[in-house]
Amino acid sequence: MHNIFLIARREYLERVRSKSFLFITIFIPALMFCVTALPTLIATRLSGAARHVVVVASDSRTAGLIRDQLQTGADDDKEARAQGGTPAARYLVDVDTNATEGERAALSLKVKEKQIDGVVWATDDALAANKITYVTRDVSNLTDTIGIRQLVGRAVHRLALRKKGLSDADIDTALKPMDMQTENPTGVAAGNPLTAFLAVFGLVMIMYMAVLLYGMNVMRAVLEEKTSRIMEVMLATATPTQMMTGKILGVGAVGLTQVAIWTASIAILSQLAAVAAAGALKGIISLRLAFYFPIFFLLGFVLFSTMYAAVGAMVNSEQEAQQLQFLVATPLIASVIVLVQILQNPGTELGMWASIFPLTSPLVMFARIALDQTVPSWQIGLSIGLLLVTIYGMMILCGRIYRVGVLMYGKKPTLPEIMKWIKYA
Amino acid sequence: MHTIELKNVRKSYDQFVAVDDLSFQIEQGAVFGLLGPNGAGKTSTIRMMIGITVPDAGEIQMFGKPFERSSLNRVGYLPEERGLYKKMKVVDQLIFLGQLHGLDAARARRQALAWSERMEISGWLEKKVEELSKGMQQKIQFISTLLHEPDFIIMDEPFGGLDPVNAALLKDALLDLKGKGKTILFSTHRMDQVEKLCDTICLINRGKSVLQGDLKEIKARHGKSNVQIEYEGDGNFLSQSQLVGSYNNYGNYVEVRLAEGADPQQLLHLVAERSRVSKFELMEPSLEEIFIETVGKTDA
Repeated sequence: MHNIFLIARREYLERVRSKSFLFITIFIPALMFCVTALPTLIATRLSGAARHVVVVASDSRTAGLIRDQLQTGADDDKEARAQGGTPAARYLVDVDTNATEGERAALSLKVKEKQIDGVVWATDDALAANKITYVTRDVSNLTDTIGIRQLVGRAVHRLALRKKGLSDADIDTALKPMDMQTENPTGVAAGNPLTAFLAVFGLVMIMYMAVLLYGMNVMRAVLEEKTSRIMEVMLATATPTQMMTGKILGVGAVGLTQVAIWTASIAILSQLAAVAAAGALKGIISLRLAFYFPIFFLLGFVLFSTMYAAVGAMVNSEQEAQQLQFLVATPLIASVIVLVQILQNPGTELGMWASIFPLTSPLVMFARIALDQTVPSWQIGLSIGLLLVTIYGMMILCGRIYRVGVLMYGKKPTLPEIMKWIKYA
Repeated sequence: MHTIELKNVRKSYDQFVAVDDLSFQIEQGAVFGLLGPNGAGKTSTIRMMIGITVPDAGEIQMFGKPFERSSLNRVGYLPEERGLYKKMKVVDQLIFLGQLHGLDAARARRQALAWSERMEISGWLEKKVEELSKGMQQKIQFISTLLHEPDFIIMDEPFGGLDPVNAALLKDALLDLKGKGKTILFSTHRMDQVEKLCDTICLINRGKSVLQGDLKEIKARHGKSNVQIEYEGDGNFLSQSQLVGSYNNYGNYVEVRLAEGADPQQLLHLVAERSRVSKFELMEPSLEEIFIETVGKTDA
């Protein structure tokens, strides 16, 4: 036990003190921030400037109504902003009742020459055909085009209702957007499905990357001891099993430290609500997930890093390791493929079996638990139990490969040779 | 008491027999040479002694009892395949290895400082291993073997790659330890390097012991049949003489192995007639010669 502790502690301290640890700890969250939050921020910043739009309608009443709607923005705009969505673009609106082809050409030219930003063509003919036209240079600006469509649509509805003789108060009531809450059968609110989807996907991807990353780190650590020839020095005091266990624990602790730092920084960011994506996670990461995440992460990590340790012991260089490495990673990749299906429908049969089969269960079962509150506890128990049994078996199997492999230099072993190693007493 | 005792030990890997029915014992306080060419089975034997591998047959006793892992805290092993953690600081590395041998951190540090003083590497303790020269790394490895004051020291090819100054430093340290009653095992194929240090030896070839016992006795048994001669003049006549079994010309001197039954006195006369002799010395054969002779016999 003492040796395992010493080996694990050395592995942990050497890694945590290294520059690459610091780099990855900072770099990965920064990268995630760039990928998730930055586009939103940029889009918000860009649409911050008021856009100059001309509304063309057959009469000034219609044009005025559209102008008012564009300028006040949507009624649910505030709500959207509170949920971390993108606020609609602000508009500076001019009204034009000269609905001729000549005027249209002239206005289009103005848009082209950047004198104005857009033209909304909402003549009576267009309204009757239920088809308005928006002329703009930035056809790909989604916030802008969706905003214009919604707002103009709302104004048109308001116009139609007013023609029926409804009062403005009645119209407001009629047009009030419907709110919908998604619930699962046990009555617990699931929150916004899109954010739930993204949050679970994000968590599982973090687990996937961490298991892969730290599993390979274990492999590299073993390989390093082989190539630096320190293996035999160590074996004069520690058994191969102690060395393997110590390595896995040490590298695993590094992984947990890193994930803990990331989680803490996400928590702090979401408290500050500085990042939209982090804010969305706040409602999703429940106590339940905080309980199961470390369990499945640890089980998955120990299982895969044991296999990676055996790979490291078999080969003499990283080049040689590549094929075998891929073999070990295959179940992880399969898990992600299954995950895509589960995200859409957590209750499929494939999902159930994949969440019980030990090589895919760490990722898949966690995803199911995160998405579906009704996963039977016997399935969770079976999944964890099978994982523990598999880890135990894998430790014995890989321990045997490890024990012989670490002292074998030279050529890469063939499969029959590895089988022979396993049989050695 | 025997520090270690091997009885009929055998180890094979698939078809290949690495160690075959090997028996020997080492007295406490002795310097023992496990000698033989590359691939003779020396490292395989050592690995079995310290429990890295298990013998297929036979028995190994260490400190008077069957092998147990706790005994390893009394053993210092310097493997032939040497390595250190490259990115680790020298002093941290030494403390780590000391702790693995059962020292507490404070004691390991004290020992590391004392030994590095003695091996003249004090200034390098705070450096990373990868910044050090190869010879320097050797010394650190050497210290790590001795940090925990082992009773049984195993050195596999200890002098390989060391310059004469450092080799002398290491040799003196080992002789010092011998004086303190420690048992030392040298394993090497460079027999000339340890010849002067060993009390007893075991010569092995192809996994089998071919010769073992007290070094002085072995040498006496092989008699003084070698002559070293320094002379001026042409020495070609030596090769034609009946008195000479074989001879090696080293440039500055020649070493002659007398033919069976030849009288060295006759050879001296012969050489004195043909050239000016500045040195003529009767010598014991070197271990290497004894080895070659013994192996030649067993192979034949």
